Amino acid sequence: MSDYLLQMTQISKTFPGVKALDDVRFEVKKGEVHALIGENGAGKSTLIKILAGMYEPDQGATFLFEGKDAQINKPIDATLKGISIIYQDLSLFSNLSVAENIYIGRDSGKKPWKKVNWNEMENVAKKALQELEFEIDVQTPVEKLSIAQQQLIEIARALAFDSKLIVMDEPTSSLSAGEVEKLYRVINKLKQRGISIIFVSHKLKELFAVSDRFTVLRDGKYVGTYDAKELDEDQLITLMVGRKVLYEKNTEKGLAGQTLLELKGLTKAGNFKDISFELKAGEIVGITGLVGSGRTELAQAIFGVNKPDSGEMTLNGESIQIKSSEHAVKKGIAYIPESRKTQGLILRQSLTNNISLPILKELRNGFGLIKRKKEVDLAKHYIDTLDVRPAHPHRAAGDLSGGNQQKVVIGKWLSTKPQILIIDEPTNGIDIGAKTEIHKLLRKLAAEGLGIIVISSELPEVLAVSDRILVMRHGKIAGELDIAEATQENIMNYALLGSKASTLKKNVQASKEVSV
Amino acid sequence: MKSILKSKEMSIAAIVIALCITLTFVSPVFLTADNLLDVLKANSVIGILAVGMTLVIITGGIDVSVAAVTSAVCVIIGKLMQVMPDHFSSLLLLFLIAPLLGILLGAINGVLVAKIRIPAIVVTLGMMSIINGLVLYITNGVYLNSTNFPKVFIQFANIKVFGVSVIILIFMAVALFTWYILKYTLIGREVLAIGGNKESALRVGINFDKVQVFVFSYMGLLAGIAAIAQTAYTKSVDPNGMLGLELLVIAGVVLGGANIMGGRGTIMGTVLGVLLLGIVQNGLILAKIDTFWQKVFTGCIILLAVSYDHIQYKRSQEKLAKIEVEA
Repeated sequence: MSDYLLQMTQISKTFPGVKALDDVRFEVKKGEVHALIGENGAGKSTLIKILAGMYEPDQGATFLFEGKDAQINKPIDATLKGISIIYQDLSLFSNLSVAENIYIGRDSGKKPWKKVNWNEMENVAKKALQELEFEIDVQTPVEKLSIAQQQLIEIARALAFDSKLIVMDEPTSSLSAGEVEKLYRVINKLKQRGISIIFVSHKLKELFAVSDRFTVLRDGKYVGTYDAKELDEDQLITLMVGRKVLYEKNTEKGLAGQTLLELKGLTKAGNFKDISFELKAGEIVGITGLVGSGRTELAQAIFGVNKPDSGEMTLNGESIQIKSSEHAVKKGIAYIPESRKTQGLILRQSLTNNISLPILKELRNGFGLIKRKKEVDLAKHYIDTLDVRPAHPHRAAGDLSGGNQQKVVIGKWLSTKPQILIIDEPTNGIDIGAKTEIHKLLRKLAAEGLGIIVISSELPEVLAVSDRILVMRHGKIAGELDIAEATQENIMNYALLGSKASTLKKNVQASKEVSV
Repeated sequence: MKSILKSKEMSIAAIVIALCITLTFVSPVFLTADNLLDVLKANSVIGILAVGMTLVIITGGIDVSVAAVTSAVCVIIGKLMQVMPDHFSSLLLLFLIAPLLGILLGAINGVLVAKIRIPAIVVTLGMMSIINGLVLYITNGVYLNSTNFPKVFIQFANIKVFGVSVIILIFMAVALFTWYILKYTLIGREVLAIGGNKESALRVGINFDKVQVFVFSYMGLLAGIAAIAQTAYTKSVDPNGMLGLELLVIAGVVLGGANIMGGRGTIMGTVLGVLLLGIVQNGLILAKIDTFWQKVFTGCIILLAVSYDHIQYKRSQEKLAKIEVEA
C-alpha cells in the first residue's frame, strides 16, 4: 500500500479556446492537510471540479484513489467513494433540517416510494455531530444557522458518508477569527482520524497554520509540491506569480491632466470601506486584488448602481451623488461590466444596433423615430476608429471574435462621449494577440484625454496598461503603487498579506533557492 | 424545520381566524355549521388542485393547465356516464378512468418539461389551449345533464359522514395523503430538496428529470380526482365551468406561503390559503358586496402576499452577498 490516498497525474482540461489545466499532477497523502494554491484563474477550481466528478478531464489522465483507478463520472460517485467537497458557497438545502442535510444522498437511486426513516436519519446526524462536538437540535432548519454552523453541518455530512478525503474551498472566507480557530481544531481532529484534507485558500497565514504540504498551480500548469516547512510566505508568492512575461510593462506616462474623479472615504457596509483615490484626465488607474475583494462593488458604486453608505465623491471638482446608471451616463461615466456576453452586448443584433443603444434618444427625429442613416454612420465611425473586424455595421455582434466584440462594447460606451471609462476585466476570455490590441486601444483612449479605471485580476495586464495601481484586499485599498515601482510580487503581497512587501531582493533570492 | 414553517402557517391561520371573527359580526349566518361546510365544499375542488400545485411550485415549476385537464376529465367521464348502466361497477370504473386520464395528461406535461426542457409555463399554456379547444369541439359548449347519469353516482355524490359531504372528505384525504408523501417518502423529500437547492440536489445524485415528471403526473392524478369531485358537486358537466380556475388554485398555494420561485411550500399552508380565499369570497357575498369586487379583492390579497414574500426573499439574498470587510 502506498502512502497516497489520491494520485492525479497528467490531468489536462480544455475548454473551447482555453486550456484550463495542462498536464497537472496532484497527490495527497493519507491523513495530511494539503493546500492547493494559485492565483485567480490558475486552475484550482477546475482541478477540484474534476475531482468532484463535475468535469471530465481530457484523454490521458490518470486518477487513482486508494491506489485504484477511480471511476468518477458524476458528483455522487465521488461522494460514495469517500470524497466530499465543501464548496465556498456551501451546498446545503436551507429549507431542510440539519438531520436531512447530513443524511441526504444516501438514498439516491432507491425506490421513490421508499419510506423515509426519520429516526435513522436523526441518529446518523447526531452521531456525526457528536464526533465534531457540535451540539445542535437536528430538527433545526439550516437557514437558521450561521455560516460557521452551516460549514460544520457540511463537515458532519462528510463524516456521515465516511469520507476519506474532504476538500474545503475557501472555508474561512466568511468566518470570524474565533470560528476559524474552531475550524482548525476540527481539521486537526479529522487529521488524527486519518482523513485527508485539501485546503483551498488565498489566505497565506492560515495556509501555513494548517497545511502539511502545498501544491502550487500557475496558469493551469503544475509548479510544484512543497513541504510546508521548507517555504515561507514570500517564497510561496514568488512561486504563485512566477516569471511570466506576457506583455510589456507600461512605460508611457499618462497625461495626468485635471482631476476628473475624486473619492474620499467611500464606504458601503459589507462591500468596501474607506476608499479614497483620484482619477485624472488621460490617466489609467488599474484596480486589482483577489476576486471578492470588493473591486466590482466599488466600480458599481461609482456608476451609481450600488449606493455607498458614506463618503464623498467629486466629479470635476463638484461634489456629486450618482443616483442611477442613467445619471452616471449623463455625467459622462461609462461602465463596461465583466461579462460581455450577458451584460455588454446583444449578440443577435447588429453592430449598429449595439453601438447606438445607449444614445438612441439622441438619434430621434421630430416624430420620435430613429434616424437610421445617422445611426449607421455612428456605428461606422466607431468601427473605423476602433478597428473592429469584420468592419461591417450590419453583422450580428455574435459573429465576431471575443476581442472584436469587446471593441464593439467599448465603441458602444464611447458613443455616450464619456469623460470616465470604467472597464471590468477588459480582456476576459480573449486570446493573447487581441488582448494586446485592447491594451493599446485603452492607452490610445487615455492619450486622447479619457480617464480610465481598469479592473483586472491579471497582474501582467494591470502592469501593461496602468499609470497607477490600486490593490484591494477585504474591501479596502491595501496599497497604491506607481507603475514605475509596481511588480507582480509587490502587488500580490498587498493583495494577499495586505502589507508592504518584504523587499524585492529577498523575493529574487527566494526564487533562486526554490528551483522549480 | 417545524418551528419556522409553523410560524408561517400560524400567521395564515391567524389571518383566517381574524377574518372569521370579523365576518361573524358582519353576518350572523357566517358562523353556522351549514355555511362553513358550504364554504369548504365549494372550495374542495380548488383545494385538491392546489395540493397538487404545491408540489409543482415547490420544484420551481407551474402548471396552468390544471383547470383544463380537470375539465377534460369531467367531460370524458360525463360522456361515459350517459351510457353507463346504473350499477356499482360503473362507479368503480369511473374511479379508475378519471385518475388514469389525469395522470396521462399530467405525464405529457412532465415529459415535455423535463426531457425537452420547455419552460413549464409554455408547456402547460399549450396544453391548456389544446384541451379547451377539444372540450368545446366535443361538447359544442353544451352542458352534460345529470338526468341520464347512473343513479349510483348521484348517491355517491350525496354521501355525508356526520354531515360532512364526501367531496370535503376527498379533499381531506388528498391533503393528508400528499402531506404523507412529502414528509415520509423519498420522492417527497427529493421534491423539497430540488426546491431548496437544485444545484446541490444534482450533486447528491437526485434525478431532476424524474422528479419533474413525477410532480406533473401527480398534479394530473389530482386533477383526475378533482374531476370526480367537481362532477359530484355540480351533478352535471359544464364545459366552460372551470375556465380561469387555475388562477385561484395558484393563488391559494401562494397565499399558503409557498414561494412561486420554488423551495418553500407546505400542504397545511396551502389548505389554509385555499380556505382564506374561500372565506373572503363567502364573506363578501354575506356582506352583500357586488360579485365583481370579489375578483378585485382576491387580486389585491394575492399581490400583497406575493410582494411580501419577494421583499423577504430579496432581503435574504442581500444578506448573503457580502464581502468580509476588515474593521
